[in-house]
Amino acid sequence: MWAGLAQSWNIIGGYTGYLSFGHGAFFGVGAYITGITMLHLGLPFGLGLLISGMAAALMAVIIGYPTLRLRGAYFAIATWAFGEMIRQIATILEITGGAFGMQLPAYLNLPFFYYLFLLMTGLIYLTIYLLLERSPFGYKLLAIREHEEAAEMVGVDTVMIKIKAFGLSAFFPGVLGGIYAYWVTYIHPDSVLGAVITDFMVVMAFLGGIGSLWGPFLGAGVVQLVNRYLWLVWGEGTFYLIVIGAAICAVVLFIPSGIIGLLESQIFQPRTAWKEIRKKVKW
Amino acid sequence: MLLESRDLTKAFGGLVAVNQLSMTVEKGTVLGIIGPNGSGKTTFFNLITGMIPSDSGKVIFNGEDITKLRPHRIARLGVGRTFQIPAPFSKMTVLENVMVSSFIHTSSMKIAKKKAWEVLEKVGLDEKADFQVLNVTLEDRKRLELAKALAIEPSLLLLDEVMSGLTPVEVKSAIHLIRQMHRQGLTIIIVEHVMDVILSLCDRVAVLDYGRKIAEGTPQQIVNHPEVIRAYLGERYRARS
Repeated sequence: MWAGLAQSWNIIGGYTGYLSFGHGAFFGVGAYITGITMLHLGLPFGLGLLISGMAAALMAVIIGYPTLRLRGAYFAIATWAFGEMIRQIATILEITGGAFGMQLPAYLNLPFFYYLFLLMTGLIYLTIYLLLERSPFGYKLLAIREHEEAAEMVGVDTVMIKIKAFGLSAFFPGVLGGIYAYWVTYIHPDSVLGAVITDFMVVMAFLGGIGSLWGPFLGAGVVQLVNRYLWLVWGEGTFYLIVIGAAICAVVLFIPSGIIGLLESQIFQPRTAWKEIRKKVKW
Repeated sequence: MLLESRDLTKAFGGLVAVNQLSMTVEKGTVLGIIGPNGSGKTTFFNLITGMIPSDSGKVIFNGEDITKLRPHRIARLGVGRTFQIPAPFSKMTVLENVMVSSFIHTSSMKIAKKKAWEVLEKVGLDEKADFQVLNVTLEDRKRLELAKALAIEPSLLLLDEVMSGLTPVEVKSAIHLIRQMHRQGLTIIIVEHVMDVILSLCDRVAVLDYGRKIAEGTPQQIVNHPEVIRAYLGERYRARS
């Protein structure tokens, strides 16, 4: 699930260069909409998932139209505000159960969810591979990241392409949110709309290497492993957040291309890596 | 007439960068635009390509009013431009850079790649097609700028100081390149400070000063124009020629 989420974020954050800090909202919206369609409309789970994905994508298009004109930190702030807004709305609305949350019909079949997550993540990576690494769309996204005006000047409809990318990067979290909701059966604003979800997506993508196909996958794996390990050592707590925070600082400062970048470059031997660090840091 | 601007005006705050500029470019000709720094040459390009909105006036391209169109639409109509400071997509290869332009006419990877290759051969960059842009020289970046503009298959090409920063030998080969493109029927507007380039390439020359056109004519008329000598060329240039 996390690998899929991190990759979805990577579409807009890594390939297009627009850092979204509201991506958790799409996950949460997906979770809630799946819940609502199943509980209140009595629709089957699969259809609920589809609607969730569409709703998240539609929301991204609406939000993206004004905010994708902003650059850098301003876009990050705008999306962060959007995420908070969605959380507040979910807390006061009646249909979402407010702060008490929402209880979905239980379906106790762990392998089912396991394979569903696996399938969905595989689907995400396949889509990204075909659409971003092997098609004009991906080239255009990279061009926008590298130089937006120059891209526009050679006939790239930057506004349209950015909105499409944002919509796509919201669709998948929407679906994943839906699966997650049915899996845990009980959702409330803090569990599916908390800032932690966004943070993890960003951290995983950055750690693994943004703008690459396997970076987010790797990042998600590493973060999850470290997370579990720290949980074993210190038990339930928030200390791991500090460690993750320190790790992300180190990654951004010393290996901006992430773990993938390290593996691809010549400096993956510890000694040369250390030399690089010595060179970069003024003692 | 391929391009016409009518009373085009653009002000940045109190500074009028382009002031009621009317200009016409005939099909198949090369127009040179010269003028001191800050006289509005690049702003004029930005107005034509739609990169910045104009305050008033009109731009007509091929009989169509393109004043209010977004830049990518204008590019699709056939206006290509290069940037004064090369603006490549740095973390992509030379070939990929040009392919982004080729996608304007095709969505097939194969055709785009083939067309991009043809353009790279034309500008002499084919040997460096797989280089990362970060690793190529300034001259090659300027060539890449040209390649990116050519790959959209324009009918009008705007060149913004493609010669600046090049050595005399490199300038010579660039002039040769531009002349070749002109022979193939391309209409070109050149903004340039290197007078030799203007004199050897242009059919007509317009001179800007403080956003206004102070003179227009053949290169010979321009170098002898008293107003132009005062504002731009200087007495020394006149004495030399």
